[in-house]
Amino acid sequence: MPGFVGPAVAIRVEGLSKVFPGGVRALSDIDLEVREGEFLVVVGLSGSGKSTLLRCINRLVDPTAGRIWIFQREITGAQGAELRRLRRQIAMIFQQFNLVRRHSVLDNVLSGSLGRARLLPSLFLRYPAEDRRLAHEALERVGLRDRPAARADALSGGQQQRVAIARALLQKPKIILADEPVASLDPALRHSLMRHIEALNRDEGLTVVCSLHDVDLVKRYATRLVALREGRLVWEGQPDQFDRRTYREIYGTDAEPASNAMA
Amino acid sequence: MPRGIELSTRDDHWAKSMARLKSVAVDAVLLTGAGLMIELLVVAFSGRRSPAGMLLGAEDILDLLHYAWITAGAVVLAILWNLLSGWLGASPGRALVRGIPERERDIPWTHTLRGWFTILFIELTFFTGWLITEVDLPTFLTKFSKASDIVRGLVHPSGAVLHQGVLLLVQTIFLAFMATAFAIPAAFAISFLAARNLTRGSALSRLLYTATRTVMNLVRAVEPLVWALIFISWVGIGPFAGVLALWVHSVAALTKLYSEQIESIDPGPVEAIMATGASTLQVIRYGVVPQVIPPFLSFTIYRWDINVRMSTIIGFVGGGGIGYILKPRVDLGEWGEVGTLVLLIAVTVWLMDIVSARIRERIV
Repeated sequence: MPGFVGPAVAIRVEGLSKVFPGGVRALSDIDLEVREGEFLVVVGLSGSGKSTLLRCINRLVDPTAGRIWIFQREITGAQGAELRRLRRQIAMIFQQFNLVRRHSVLDNVLSGSLGRARLLPSLFLRYPAEDRRLAHEALERVGLRDRPAARADALSGGQQQRVAIARALLQKPKIILADEPVASLDPALRHSLMRHIEALNRDEGLTVVCSLHDVDLVKRYATRLVALREGRLVWEGQPDQFDRRTYREIYGTDAEPASNAMA
Repeated sequence: MPRGIELSTRDDHWAKSMARLKSVAVDAVLLTGAGLMIELLVVAFSGRRSPAGMLLGAEDILDLLHYAWITAGAVVLAILWNLLSGWLGASPGRALVRGIPERERDIPWTHTLRGWFTILFIELTFFTGWLITEVDLPTFLTKFSKASDIVRGLVHPSGAVLHQGVLLLVQTIFLAFMATAFAIPAAFAISFLAARNLTRGSALSRLLYTATRTVMNLVRAVEPLVWALIFISWVGIGPFAGVLALWVHSVAALTKLYSEQIESIDPGPVEAIMATGASTLQVIRYGVVPQVIPPFLSFTIYRWDINVRMSTIIGFVGGGGIGYILKPRVDLGEWGEVGTLVLLIAVTVWLMDIVSARIRERIV
C-alpha cells in the first residue's frame, strides 16, 4: 500500500497526431500528462500546433491518431451525450473571446451552463434562478457586476475576455483550456487578466492548460512548461529552466526574447 | 487505435481518387465545349450554304457538329492533360476542383497553358454567343421607328385603367408579402440542412445536405411562371395561385441565401458554445442564430422586393395581381393603358427598392 498518492492525472495524452484534410500535419505523436491542479503552459511559434493540441483535448478538433483521457475517462472516441458530459468538465478560453456578440453579457455568462441546462428553456434563453445567481456572482468576481445587460460587443477586449472567464466559471469545470488568452489584449491588461485565470487555478484548484507567447507571462504563471515545435513536443521543464538557450531551441536561432525577463 | 481513424484514411484515399476523377471530368466538359465552339465558328465562317442557297444559320450548324468525335477527343485530351500535368501545368479542372497546386501559385497566368486556355475559352464563348443569339447591330441601330407606336403609347398613359390598376397593385404587394412571409419559416428550417459547415458531422447529415441542396437547386431552376401554371391548375386562377408560385420559388432562393450566410459565420462562438458541452440545437441557437438574424432579415426584405416585381409576370398567366389586366392590353395593343400600368409598377418597384435598401442598411 503506497503511503502517498500524488495528485490525480487530469489529462493524459498518448501518441496524439493530427493531420488536417489538406495534408497539413499539425501534431505528431504527442505524449503528455497533466496532473490535477497544475498550471501547464504550452509555448511554441505560431503554427507549432498549440491551438490544435488544446482543441484535441476537448475534441473541438478530432485527432487523426492517438488517445486522450480526461480523469481516466477516454474522450477520444466518445460520442453524443458522453462527449458532451466530458466537455462539461473542460472550459475553454479563446484568443478572440468568442462571445455571442449580439447577446447580453449576462446571457453570455449563462451560456456556460448550457451543458447541464434543460434543452427547451435554454433555447429561449431561460435559466434556473440558481444559475442566474451564479452568473451574477461570476460577473462580480471578474469585476463586471454593473453591466450585465450590455451587449457583449459593446465591451472592450479586456472586458470581453473577462466575460469569457465568467462563462467558463459558470460551466463549473475541472479543467480550463486557455488558447492564447491574452494575445489580443493590450499589453497593459495582460497581467490583470492572467491573474483571474491564476486565481481559478490557485483558489479553486482547477487544472489549467494555457498557451502563451509572452516570456514574462510564461515565467510568472506556469508551474510547468512544455514546448511544441512543428507539431512535436520538443521540451518540457520548470519555468526556471526556461532560459535563453532553451528559448532558441524552441523558437529557432533567429528568435530573441522580447524582454529581459530571461537570464 | 479507435476505429474511426482507419476509416478516415480510407475516406481520404477515396476522396483523392474522386477529386482526380472530378478534375478529369471537368476538363473533359471544358474541352468538349471549346472543341464544339471551335467547330461551330469554323463552319460559320467557311461560307457553307444550305440546300436553299442561304448561308448556314447558327441553328443549322448546331445540327452539323460532330458531337461524338469531339467529346471523345476532349476526353482523351483531358486525361492526357491530367496525366502530364507535371509538364503542362495543372489543368483547369484540377485548378477548379482541388485548387492551383502550391508550386504553380506564383506563375503569372500568361505563362501557363491553363491561363491561355481560359482566355481562349472566354473568347470562344463570346463569339459563339454572338452567332447563336443572332446579334444584329445594324437593325438595332436603324429600325427604331417600328417600335415608336408602343413607346408613344407608354409615354401617353391613359387614365381609363388607373382605378383598377391601383386596386390590383395593392393586391400585388400583398401577394408578394404573403409569399415571402410563408417562405421565411420553411427557408429558415431548411437552410441549416443546406449549410456545409453544420453538416460535416455524420454521413447522414452529409447526405441530407446533398439532398437538400439538390432539391432546392431543382426548385429554383424552375421559373416562377411554371410554378404559377402548376398552382393555377391546383387551386384555380387568382392571387392565391400566385402566392403559392412565388412561395415555392422564394423558399428555394432564400434557402440558398440563408445557407450561404450560415456558411460564412464566424466559427469562434460555435466553438465556444460546443466547448461548454452544449447539444447541437443549443449550438445552433447560441452560436449560429444570433450571427445570421440581421442578414436573414435583410435578404428577406430584398426577397419581398423581388417578389413584387415577379408577381407582375405571374399575373400574365392568371396568378393574380396587376399582371392579370396588363396581359390583355398588351395583346390588344392598347399602349396608352399599358403605359399607365407599367408606370404604376415602375413607381411601386422604385419605392420598394428605396424602402428596402434603407431598412437593410439599418439592419446590417
